[in-house]
Amino acid sequence: MITLKIAFRNIFRQKRRTLLTVLTMFGGFTLCSFSIGWMDGSYNYIIDMFTRYQLGHIQIHNRGYIDRPSLYDTIDDYESVASTVERIPGVTRTSPRLYSAGLVSVGEKSAIARIIGIDPRQENAATLFDKKIVGGQTFASPGTVAREAVIGKGLAKRIDASPGDDIVVVSQGADGSIANDVYTIAGIIETGDPAGDQTALYLELGEAQELLVLDGRIHEIAVVADDLGGVRRLASRLEDGLADPGLAVEPWQVFAKSFYDAMMADKAGGWVMLLVIVFVVAIGVLNTVLMNVLERSREYGLLRAVGTRPRQIFWLVITEVCIMAVVSAAVGCIAGWAINYGLSIKGIPMPMEFTYGGMEFSHAFTEVNTRSFVIPIVVVILSAVLVSTFPALRAARTAPAEAMRTR
Amino acid sequence: MNAQHTDRVVVTKNVTKEYKDNGVPVRAVQGIDLEIGRGEFTAIVGPSGSGKTTFLNVISGLDKATDGQVWLAGKQLSEMSGRELSDFRRDHIGFIFQAYNLIPVLTVTENVEYIMLLQGVHPGERRRRVSKILGELGLEGVENRFPTQLSGGQQQRVAVARAIVSEPALVLADEPTANLDSQTAIDLIDRMRELNESHGVTFIFSTHDTKIMERARRLIALKDGRIDTDEVRS
Repeated sequence: MITLKIAFRNIFRQKRRTLLTVLTMFGGFTLCSFSIGWMDGSYNYIIDMFTRYQLGHIQIHNRGYIDRPSLYDTIDDYESVASTVERIPGVTRTSPRLYSAGLVSVGEKSAIARIIGIDPRQENAATLFDKKIVGGQTFASPGTVAREAVIGKGLAKRIDASPGDDIVVVSQGADGSIANDVYTIAGIIETGDPAGDQTALYLELGEAQELLVLDGRIHEIAVVADDLGGVRRLASRLEDGLADPGLAVEPWQVFAKSFYDAMMADKAGGWVMLLVIVFVVAIGVLNTVLMNVLERSREYGLLRAVGTRPRQIFWLVITEVCIMAVVSAAVGCIAGWAINYGLSIKGIPMPMEFTYGGMEFSHAFTEVNTRSFVIPIVVVILSAVLVSTFPALRAARTAPAEAMRTR
Repeated sequence: MNAQHTDRVVVTKNVTKEYKDNGVPVRAVQGIDLEIGRGEFTAIVGPSGSGKTTFLNVISGLDKATDGQVWLAGKQLSEMSGRELSDFRRDHIGFIFQAYNLIPVLTVTENVEYIMLLQGVHPGERRRRVSKILGELGLEGVENRFPTQLSGGQQQRVAVARAIVSEPALVLADEPTANLDSQTAIDLIDRMRELNESHGVTFIFSTHDTKIMERARRLIALKDGRIDTDEVRS
């Protein structure tokens, strides 16, 4: 108690120095909180764009399909599976998809294509499919047989195709027959995945099932979740809810592993910035605490002389730093929250706006999350206490006779 | 320690202290043999550099002797660890320094009760003892002031109160009157002598003030780190 009292009063002895130390820690805290908020906000925004509006947060396939996709490896009663999935809390939308490969040609030009059967209404609702059309239009009458196709921007370029052109599709039906048909190109799409757009040919699900002789069957159910952060937990709840060992329910971190790895690697770069902040805070705190200890060596000598144990002096110095760190963290929490909250709504304008995957990127957004408070609290308090250990040990080891001789 | 030392508060045998001043070895104390009994009021005198402060530091455990042994209240200091020495100083020695040396962020009351706080004395007992000693030293009315709000004489009386309040076996005062005017210095020494007589506390103080020397019952004069004279007065 007396240690706390002395520590607390010592803080007010050198008000300017205390203010400088608190400002250093507060600045470090706020910068750290903002960095995390910005880093998480930006990456989560990109991740959400690619998962929510393209791949889906979670995908359901027959087990093994992801490793060895096969035309015959289908989910047969997909409507019942989708209905079960949609009843589970945390699921926003589902969208069934069917995949195959084929040869497409417009006029004299032909190319290999990935045939993707989608339910336009569900896909529009789940991944904003219609918002990504960059030429022509989406399927004119979703759900009706109109023999329309939407093709990727890259594929359109390769085969010199434009909306209104007829496109011939040749593939293999599930029954072994030659699957072929002619469709009218309704629109050109840019999904934000240039490689995928080089081969993508979208057909209305019913027409794709008819072409490939896969009536009532699909290969994939894309699931869009309410919350990106809770995707892994939701995937596990879906797996439990479906209770079908033949179905694999995988979050985006698993089925889009290379994208996930790239994001994580990129995110790791942000930690370097945090290290720089920690370094700056540590140097600032070390400087002022060491100065205090050197100035008060006579006082520590007195305390030692009258019987204060070295350990008590060590904790006296650490307690002073802790009080300043806690105050800095408390004020920093308010400032960090205010900055991150404000910028999560208003965003930081980007030097150049751009459109990617049908989404406009004009602002970078921050995020208010637990990490943006917990990490700075731990980082600032821990680094302040750690760097104070050296001056505190020095104070604790003060030789009383020598210190008392100091004038 | 043998039985003959039990009625002695301080016993030194051939105590020597050497230290280096800018790399040059200085022998500040040279083979001092001394015994100081309980309840003595002893002044150690001598010119600057005679080894008074170094000797006080060595017998209080603030500094280690280079050679020889020191017994304090029956304990040999050289056998104690750093922590044991801290606890020993806290429980058995009261210090009064030349430059007052009060804890600047604590009030008069808090400064005086600080050692008792370290000792874990019950709050009620602390309050009783603090109030009594402040009264005896004429410090009523300044209990809640900080050291910077006191005169030099008041600060030194607070230091005396702090030194004596935990009823130590020995009070060591290093030039306690050096920063005081002569009348305040005489008053302070008289107060210390009263405490010595009423509480039976052993006082050892260093000084080169002749007025103060006159009030000591035993006068030990140091010269070049050695005892020059040792005079007991009636």
